Amino acid sequence: MKLINDFVHRFNASMSIDESMVIEKRSRYFLLNAGLKRLISRDFFYAGIYLGKVKNRVFFPSFPLLNMIAEKEGVNKTVVNEKAEWLFVCGRDLFKQGIVKMGVSARRGAYTLVLNERGECLGFGKIVANIAQTKDEKAVIVKSISDIGDFLRRERNARTPP
Amino acid sequence: MKKSTNYLLMSGKEFFEKRYEKLGWKYKDASTRQAIRINVANTEPKDIIKRLESRGIELEAIPFLENGFWICKSKFSVGATPEYLSGLYSIQEAAAQIPVSLFTEVKHRTMLDACAAPGGKTVQLADQMRNTGALVALDVEKRRLNALANHLERCRVQNTVVYTMDARRASELNVKFDGVLLDVPCSGNFAADKNWFRRRTIDDVKRNAKLQKEMLAEATKVLKDSGELVYSTCSLEPEEDELNINWAVRTLGLVTEPIDCHGEKGLINVFGEEQDISIENCRRIWPSKTQGFFVCKLRKRVSRR
Repeated sequence: MKLINDFVHRFNASMSIDESMVIEKRSRYFLLNAGLKRLISRDFFYAGIYLGKVKNRVFFPSFPLLNMIAEKEGVNKTVVNEKAEWLFVCGRDLFKQGIVKMGVSARRGAYTLVLNERGECLGFGKIVANIAQTKDEKAVIVKSISDIGDFLRRERNARTPP
Repeated sequence: MKKSTNYLLMSGKEFFEKRYEKLGWKYKDASTRQAIRINVANTEPKDIIKRLESRGIELEAIPFLENGFWICKSKFSVGATPEYLSGLYSIQEAAAQIPVSLFTEVKHRTMLDACAAPGGKTVQLADQMRNTGALVALDVEKRRLNALANHLERCRVQNTVVYTMDARRASELNVKFDGVLLDVPCSGNFAADKNWFRRRTIDDVKRNAKLQKEMLAEATKVLKDSGELVYSTCSLEPEEDELNINWAVRTLGLVTEPIDCHGEKGLINVFGEEQDISIENCRRIWPSKTQGFFVCKLRKRVSRR
């Protein structure tokens, strides 16, 4: 749980997840609702909301978790235009020219969620340059870490588990 | 020698075409049209239609489905748009969208999807439940379970637990379900597989029919009294369809329910053998605008104590 909370904090966010409802299965974490918790009685493969997995002591978040973080106030968010949305989903970094809006509190080195103009979460990245101080429209501001195009890559790569 | 002669006689396009003719259908070549289903728990249908149309994707509403659309034209794969990757819609063949739509009420219920992978119908059922209640999904094949897990994550499903388990062992869960979806493994049909006639024999059909009966019996065991069971196959072979349901009605304490959906009435005369009249409540879909399909809604009779 500490790894999950630390990850959430890197977006300048705090989120209270009821630990008693979180269940770990082979280093993968799932958040259950009361109905599911009552029902789970044996070795399961997947349950409730998948939060992410830990590999080599690094936490890899799921997309539902990123969506949960995106619902919180004051979180680092970067809103991108439609062209940048396509590029980001293909695994590309974000240039200044594709960014429509960026939280003022977002500092270099912090994580930021990447959203389209409808507020839908596309993934997250690391802020590598201060947008206000960057003049070059083609300079990378956010380095991509994870994007929803990953679902396609998983389908192509022999259906690996989440 | 005799075995190989039988094999030749009981397989091949001509053999199956003759069977379909005896069932009242003249063989016509058919292929499936790509279709999508909007995940209404995640988006408004009107909104997503507008968004896809603005991307140059032409849609046609499927007349017998509430949230299903055929893809008429698209310059790129509909499985690669940000809307798809965000779980706002799923790619699901039109006939395959029918079974889940037949449940009367699923919100806040405990449901079972007994043969779940790769998960198109599981996500549809969770969507119809609006992520309330609990949905238990079973399947045996690890590779297909990975695909199921990816579907659940992409579509932000919250109410589902997946077990690696054979549907024939569902009673080991010690849970009684309000509804069971039994989309059984089957022989498939030629519209969904261009090599179907070359690959299938009547022995495959008989083997699948036996497995399906075992699954029907176990599904009935875990179903609450008066609970609903929706049975479906993408097979056109009556052994896997009407004959199995006829057996279930006569031996398992299930009754068929009338359904208002696409397709023809179930056959009550199969190769000269009369079936229970209630088999008419089933729906048989010969390949045309959709793949071949069979679906039936059953209810468990209240047991007398």
